[in-house]
Amino acid sequence: MRSRFAVPILVALLVLTFLASLAFGELRLSFSQVLGALSGSGGDEIARTVVRDFRLPRALVGVAVGAALSASGVVMQAFFRNPLASPGLLGVSSGGALGAVAVLALGPALGFAAASLWLLPLASILGAFAATGAVLILAQRGAGAERLLLSGVALNALLGAGTSFLLTLTAGHFEVNAQILFWLMGGLESRSWEHVWMGVPLITVACLFLLPLGRAMNLLSLGEQSAQSLGVDVRRLRWQLILLSTILTAIATAVAGIVGFVGLVVPQMLRLTFGPDHRRLLPYSMLGGASFLLACDLVTRTFPIGLRLGVVTSLIGGPFFLWLLRRAR
Amino acid sequence: MKSPALHAHALTVPGRLTEVSLELGPGELVAVVGPNGAGKSTLLQALAGLLPCEGVVQWSGQPLSQVAVMERGRRLAWVAQEALFEFAFPVREVVAQGRFAWGDDLSGVAQALAELDLGHLAERPATQLSGGERHRVGLARALATGAPIQLWDEPVAQLDVRHALEVMRLARRLATAGGTVVVTLHDLRAAYRFDRVLVLDGGRLVGNGGPHDVLTAPLIREVFRVEATFVESLVPELPVN
Repeated sequence: MRSRFAVPILVALLVLTFLASLAFGELRLSFSQVLGALSGSGGDEIARTVVRDFRLPRALVGVAVGAALSASGVVMQAFFRNPLASPGLLGVSSGGALGAVAVLALGPALGFAAASLWLLPLASILGAFAATGAVLILAQRGAGAERLLLSGVALNALLGAGTSFLLTLTAGHFEVNAQILFWLMGGLESRSWEHVWMGVPLITVACLFLLPLGRAMNLLSLGEQSAQSLGVDVRRLRWQLILLSTILTAIATAVAGIVGFVGLVVPQMLRLTFGPDHRRLLPYSMLGGASFLLACDLVTRTFPIGLRLGVVTSLIGGPFFLWLLRRAR
Repeated sequence: MKSPALHAHALTVPGRLTEVSLELGPGELVAVVGPNGAGKSTLLQALAGLLPCEGVVQWSGQPLSQVAVMERGRRLAWVAQEALFEFAFPVREVVAQGRFAWGDDLSGVAQALAELDLGHLAERPATQLSGGERHRVGLARALATGAPIQLWDEPVAQLDVRHALEVMRLARRLATAGGTVVVTLHDLRAAYRFDRVLVLDGGRLVGNGGPHDVLTAPLIREVFRVEATFVESLVPELPVN
């Protein structure tokens, strides 16, 4: 499809899903009520509270998480020159989950309140960076893409095993278990303004740093050596990409848990529609990822029978992925 | 005295290349031959600064470590042996990547496309091309850089007769215009058309000079373990017009 339509379409989608996120839910609001609540002029006290205190922060976190995960997916795919690479490849999200789950599972025994709002995200971010750091150290020797990939696979398995162990360890404690499940399946429920401040500024900054790298990513995605020979400082670019992608995924995981498939499906969809040029693919993926996540969150709200966000993204993402594989043959 | 375009002294890549020293001047068309695993590709990558290696590499008298990465993209172009494109960039965009180090100014892109007979494929995704066509895309991208030093790793191995001859003619023209063109080859007969032949064997430079001086029957027997004789045979040429 012509790329000049891309931005209008993607912006329109984002505005639409954003407004819908503010309007739909247990209490159904009309768009005029939503706009009234946003502008502060409307007289509807309840609508204002619902929109401003609950749905607006939730939607903003959703936008940031969706944009972060898709952008991070684009980065990983260019980095590994593989359109099937995902943001969690280097252990970021499983490390982040393990960090949070460890606090949830072991916190009570060690005597600190796991309920503290900042503690969990902090533990998650620490876990995420520790995991990526470990992968980088394990891969070493110039950090060739293949070694990195294999180290990531190994570490992901290890971290997953740790998380599963903690999960079984807390099997008797229903409440802790439920909280752990939240991290493993992701979600935007009860995201507050604190989560907005935790996630949105950092993700925005990382996205802004990422956008100018699209040009060099184009070259990198067609081969490290040829990129180097054409004037790309590949070493530096790779470090920038790993750092930014880790920040994006770590923050997204810290505020919303593990949300799978977004980083895979959204870039794929946009690449198929508008071509692989990263100068465009990056901003498109940020916009598209935000809409996709809001749409999935809307589904979890519409069917409140325990459909978690990570489940919905995978429910939509899984079949799409299979279709894509068939198409790629 | 004018410094050589490419200078290497005791260039070593552990396990792959041992103490190779050479000087290649501007205007030289150079063939690199040798059996599989002799270090031909490694030599090109080392000269291009794409591999960590020991020894000295200089471009026009300047040590490689003093040439900024971006600057390198303007002075030397390298074409990989394998032209793999995982993402469906249109051919024109891949070739335009040759202008990265020039701020994507697109100058010479159309000409490079025409030169490699890719005009009709310009909008086609590079992933849909045949092996030979992809290789021509890689060459066109290198050509678009406008770099005076061109290192091409087996540029003609996958090309049909006509395109191979066109690539050789292009290489000759770049050299005549003052460039330094280094090409790895498997076809020893083609090497006779070059100004200079470098023979690699087991990572060592065992021959360096004019083709008739270097590619002798004893050396070919020694390095390639085949018997070579001069015979008359059909030689394809591009039509003169």
